[in-house]
Amino acid sequence: MRLAEIERGDSLGHRALIGFISMVSGMRLPDAARVAFYHRDFLGGTLGEWTHETMRGDSPWTISERELMAAMVASWNECPFCIGAHRAIAIKGMPRDIADQTLADYRTAPIAEPLRATLGFLETMTRTPKTLGPADARALLEAGVTSAALADAIAVATLFAIITRYANALAFAIPTGAEFDKAATMLLRRGYR
Amino acid sequence: MPIDHRARAAALREKAGGAAGQTDPALRQSILSRAAGGPALTAPYDALVTHVAEASYRVTDGEVAAVRAATGSDKAAFEVVMTAAIGAALLRFDRATAALEQAEYAPR
Repeated sequence: MRLAEIERGDSLGHRALIGFISMVSGMRLPDAARVAFYHRDFLGGTLGEWTHETMRGDSPWTISERELMAAMVASWNECPFCIGAHRAIAIKGMPRDIADQTLADYRTAPIAEPLRATLGFLETMTRTPKTLGPADARALLEAGVTSAALADAIAVATLFAIITRYANALAFAIPTGAEFDKAATMLLRRGYR
Repeated sequence: MPIDHRARAAALREKAGGAAGQTDPALRQSILSRAAGGPALTAPYDALVTHVAEASYRVTDGEVAAVRAATGSDKAAFEVVMTAAIGAALLRFDRATAALEQAEYAPR
């Protein structure tokens, strides 16, 4: 963590909360949660609320599919913290080997075609956004992806365009596999608010 | 009911460039623009903002420390990082949303 005040908390209450959660959970509170507690006056909950609605609200995509999309964006943006965190949540609701084959190569993984086509769109959006055009979206609609499903997937990729960038820029500490699993259980239960 | 992602994105853009931060809103508005491919910023902001936007895994301790020193606080440096990330993301949101809308409404 490159900014010390985020790591320790910016108020007595937040410092106590970070210590308490770490003690109860038996692991160091991940940096993503420390950022969520930090300098809340600035964005005023706009990012957390949108993330929670998009990742946990009603959607044509399952929670695991949305978490897998998040892990894929993290993979394209080379963010090891977010790959680990969101893969761990995805595999709570889908077979581990399918998630891992998708992360290795979504073009050949045994996933439904609408999800595969959507991941193709999200890869272009993440890597070369200025090349995206209506033909990219039209191909998805013709492949059976609804407008509502694509709009939700675009929101997932937008939010993780933000989260992966600050996780990398601030140099989040990388939890162990067991810690990612424990944090995934908490994030499934509590969400992103 | 579907989520109004456009309204959520607009609210985030307004907050990132708005009055609630410790840094000058004009600086944050220029960071939003720079992270979406706009004009260069002065040092030390430009190096950090372009790295966050284009290759965040290459951000260095020195780039963050230089912006921390220039702004005078962790909160202000945090605002610079967050605003750069939001600017890069909103470019992607805008392009993808426009592609979807054109596909829905434009004749083939």
